[in-house]
Amino acid sequence: MTKIETPKVVKKKLFSPIWLLPIIALALGAWLGVKSIRESGIDVRIHFPSATGIDVGKTLVRYQGLTVGKVVDISIDDALQGVNVDLLMDYRSTPFLKDNTKFWLVTPKASITGVEGLDALFSGNYIAIQPGDGNDRNEFIAEDQAPPVAPGSDGLMVQLSSPTLGSLDIGSQIFYRQIPVGKIFSYRLVNDSSILFNAYIQKQYTHLVKQNSQFWNVSGLAVDASLSGIKVKTESLSAILAGGVSFSSDPNGLQAEPNQHYTIFDNKDAAIGGVGFSLLASNADAIQTGASIVFRGIEIGRVTHTHLSDAGVQFDATFDTDYAHLLSGTAQFWVEGAGISTKGIKHAARLLTGSVINFMPGTGEPLAQYPLLDSAPPLHNQPFALTLTANENPGINIGAQVRFKQLPIGSVSAVRFKQDYSGVEYSIDIWPEYQRLISSGSYFIPESALAIDASIDGITVKTRDLDTLTQGAISLIQGKSLTLVKEHSTLALFSSQKQAKEAISQAAQRRITLLSPDGADLSVTSPLYFKKMQIGQVLDVAWQPQSNNFAITLGIDKQFDSLLTPKTVFWRNSALTVDASLRGVNVEVAPLSGAIKGSVSLGLLDSDNAVNRQHLYGSKALALAKATPITLSFPATTKLAAKAAIRYLGHQVGEIEQVKLNDDLSTVNVDAYLYGDYAKAFTRQDAQYFLVDAQISLSGIQAAETLLTGPYVAVLPGNSQHLSQHFIGLTDNPVQLDDGSLQVTLIDSSLGSIRIGSPIIFRGIKIGEIAHYQLSNNGTEVNMRAQIDTRYQHLVNQSSQFWDMSGIKIDVGLFSGAQIETGSLETILTGGIGVATQAVTSSANRLGSNQAFILHDKPQTDWLDWAPNQQPNP
Amino acid sequence: MNDTHSNSQGQAAGITCCPTCAKLCRIEDNYCQRCGQHVQSRDYASIQKSWALLITAAVLLVPANLYPITVMTSQGQVRRDTIFSGINHLIHLDLWPIAIILFTASILVPMLKIIGLATYLLAISYRLPISKKTLMTGFHIIEWIGRWSMLDLFVISITAALVNMGQIFDAKPAPAATAFALVVLLTQLAAKVLDTRLLWDRLEAKNDKN
Repeated sequence: MTKIETPKVVKKKLFSPIWLLPIIALALGAWLGVKSIRESGIDVRIHFPSATGIDVGKTLVRYQGLTVGKVVDISIDDALQGVNVDLLMDYRSTPFLKDNTKFWLVTPKASITGVEGLDALFSGNYIAIQPGDGNDRNEFIAEDQAPPVAPGSDGLMVQLSSPTLGSLDIGSQIFYRQIPVGKIFSYRLVNDSSILFNAYIQKQYTHLVKQNSQFWNVSGLAVDASLSGIKVKTESLSAILAGGVSFSSDPNGLQAEPNQHYTIFDNKDAAIGGVGFSLLASNADAIQTGASIVFRGIEIGRVTHTHLSDAGVQFDATFDTDYAHLLSGTAQFWVEGAGISTKGIKHAARLLTGSVINFMPGTGEPLAQYPLLDSAPPLHNQPFALTLTANENPGINIGAQVRFKQLPIGSVSAVRFKQDYSGVEYSIDIWPEYQRLISSGSYFIPESALAIDASIDGITVKTRDLDTLTQGAISLIQGKSLTLVKEHSTLALFSSQKQAKEAISQAAQRRITLLSPDGADLSVTSPLYFKKMQIGQVLDVAWQPQSNNFAITLGIDKQFDSLLTPKTVFWRNSALTVDASLRGVNVEVAPLSGAIKGSVSLGLLDSDNAVNRQHLYGSKALALAKATPITLSFPATTKLAAKAAIRYLGHQVGEIEQVKLNDDLSTVNVDAYLYGDYAKAFTRQDAQYFLVDAQISLSGIQAAETLLTGPYVAVLPGNSQHLSQHFIGLTDNPVQLDDGSLQVTLIDSSLGSIRIGSPIIFRGIKIGEIAHYQLSNNGTEVNMRAQIDTRYQHLVNQSSQFWDMSGIKIDVGLFSGAQIETGSLETILTGGIGVATQAVTSSANRLGSNQAFILHDKPQTDWLDWAPNQQPNP
Repeated sequence: MNDTHSNSQGQAAGITCCPTCAKLCRIEDNYCQRCGQHVQSRDYASIQKSWALLITAAVLLVPANLYPITVMTSQGQVRRDTIFSGINHLIHLDLWPIAIILFTASILVPMLKIIGLATYLLAISYRLPISKKTLMTGFHIIEWIGRWSMLDLFVISITAALVNMGQIFDAKPAPAATAFALVVLLTQLAAKVLDTRLLWDRLEAKNDKN
């Protein structure tokens, strides 16, 4: 039998390891439980005036953005005076919950001083907490609003005191140069008499506060309305509504200590202060606290306090710091009110504002007290008197200020008419120290109280103070000269700077008077151009009845003086010049202003010949040709037109400018120009002008070109020493007597077909021509003047016979038959005169001047056989 | 007295089933011939294990219900919900059906499961006078319904994954979710680890007795 092993009995463990599981779970649970009990939070009850914006479970308690609690319940308090809000605070907030801990509700709030609680806009309202010190506590009363940020170690705390709260409040800003640099975070009443503010300056601005800093109230608007204008001053919009304090510091001052004490002044002037002193007077009739102390019309200080003293009335006064240096030992003060006199009211404004204290500086160390005089002390320095003249009074009254750069330098002491009533005269007094401002060339203009300058760039409205409006003011515009004017000299008062400039530039202009046959479309201010640049203008256009032309006065700016040389010519500009020729068309348009108002141009000639500078030429071409104007009279039948030429032997020497029918309708007046180079010979009194027109006759066409160009005027020079500009024009060719040629007079009973130009024919050859013919004085015969060419003179002598060989002579006789005689074909058409000479020309039978011959009807037969052997003169 | 065969047990025949591969083994072999698993006719230690797991689950049920199970952030507002406050919230929103489902799955089922399992364990150890039929039905119900407790966690995990918009809208599981998951897990394990043959033994015996 096999031995059965005794079974090994293993004692079962009492607990399986699985039991660790519930133990761990228990331990975990216990730990969690303990932890949650420990961290369950602290109940806090806060009393709020209302539960608006607080929700149970939603409204959180935050500290520096961290949620430290939560509203768990809201209940109305027993007295019905608000609500109790129960908070469950985080267990870690225990150290916050002390006596001085503050709770307040943060809601989004936009106000004039800033926007608060912007975060609450998104996360909902929350209760903010500011930890404090003291004993532990669980019940609190909520603050109405966020307590000011308590300054930490950064930043600077200063104490400010003020007699009244004004509009300052907790949160009012502190400004430095209008930058908010801090805030007032608390205030309290001290000693029933002043209010002590605790102010906090932000860390980055602490260096601005110095030991000598001056603080002043900038709350609200500072409106300073006086007769001299309204001054509105404010620091910032928030300062208007929430109040504010501004300060300024001496940059070199010592750094302010923490909690340093300062006084808040009412305004900047009081804060910045000045030099204090007192004035002593017997009574306080005219002067009240606040009265200005003026010097030269400028307020430099004021009376700050008035009180009675043993010696009379004592005025405490301060000088503005800027002017403190004026206060000196011998300074004088006197009362000055409105002056009412026969001359008018002086300082009328003071009738309303009260008197001021006038001041005259002196020398020496400042005193603490000065006597206040009743009237002005005699002046040591008499003002510098000047006289101003103006065309009319632009509203300047007696007492009006004279200013320079808007600072008063004197005043108007009298306004009167000039003696001849041609203008207004002012007497002005310039204060002695400004005397040297007035140099020769200085002038004055009135100040306008309101100047509106509207342009494309915008509208500028410039106003001056009220004084300017009521009394007027005049401004000095300094002259460039360094020479000072003498006392009582006369200067000009112009109505405006523009007018002054015009007047001055006109005075500086060189004047030139030009003569023109017409007004040339010019008016005053028409421009004068040189190379298309304006260098002057027309100052005057005057008709001169005696010479029947216009005197045009030009002003040329001084700088262009050098243009006025003997070579200078002037012409009027056409608005539009079209120069059309075969080379092309050149259109020139004058400058627009000149085109509208008419304009004059100045040009320089190349040649040195002196010209008639006094004349205004009609065009540039005429001017540059130095044309000399002449006038011609022609019968009304003349068919001349403008631009017709004046020719001498076919060369153009001038030009017709215009043709006018006279009033009598029988003649035309022709204005013409002679080109300067030729003018001299053709302006002699005996020069002859005659019309050349196309003449079509059997003998041909004379001046055929005039068929195309129209008639022109031919001229023959004269010899006279007398010059003239007016000529009577002839319609016919004048007798052109050739001095060198031999002249004979032929006498016939009728002219027949002889014409001027009919030839004198010798053996069929033309040796001369008829130059002229006329009826004899008694009317019985015709005298013809024949000219024999010089080289044929020896062919004619006293033995010569002349006969008419014009036309065709037909002699028909019964027995002799028909006999037809003709000369050349030309003589048939134009007529001709035959000549034959019997004897050889010798000194005995030489023809004298104007020897007369009978013109025979026909030659005798033997005449034709004469053939003397003539020898030309050696 | 009736058909004894129908009530005869393997234990009596000296055989038992391998718990792993279900091979019929002899008890005296101690180890399964096929898979080498330790075999025993009855695992009496399983009662202890089951108890331990059950108690752990019961302990964890406390934080699971007291602590918030979700943290919802809606427009910067943080809202922590315990299971119960969540149900409460649903009721306030008049979502009764969901509230009932949630209540059943999250509170009722785990509680019932723990109580039920405790009952069975007590029934095994102390032969409580409960009818065999009741016990059988209860056991099936517990087995079947237990898994549904995971519904809550399932919802939370889906919500946490889907609702994630930072400050505007966000949902996250809170500590109670862990505890709750453990409760469900532990009750499952407790039911699993229990050697149910002990119960049947007891039922047989009781039946015999009854």
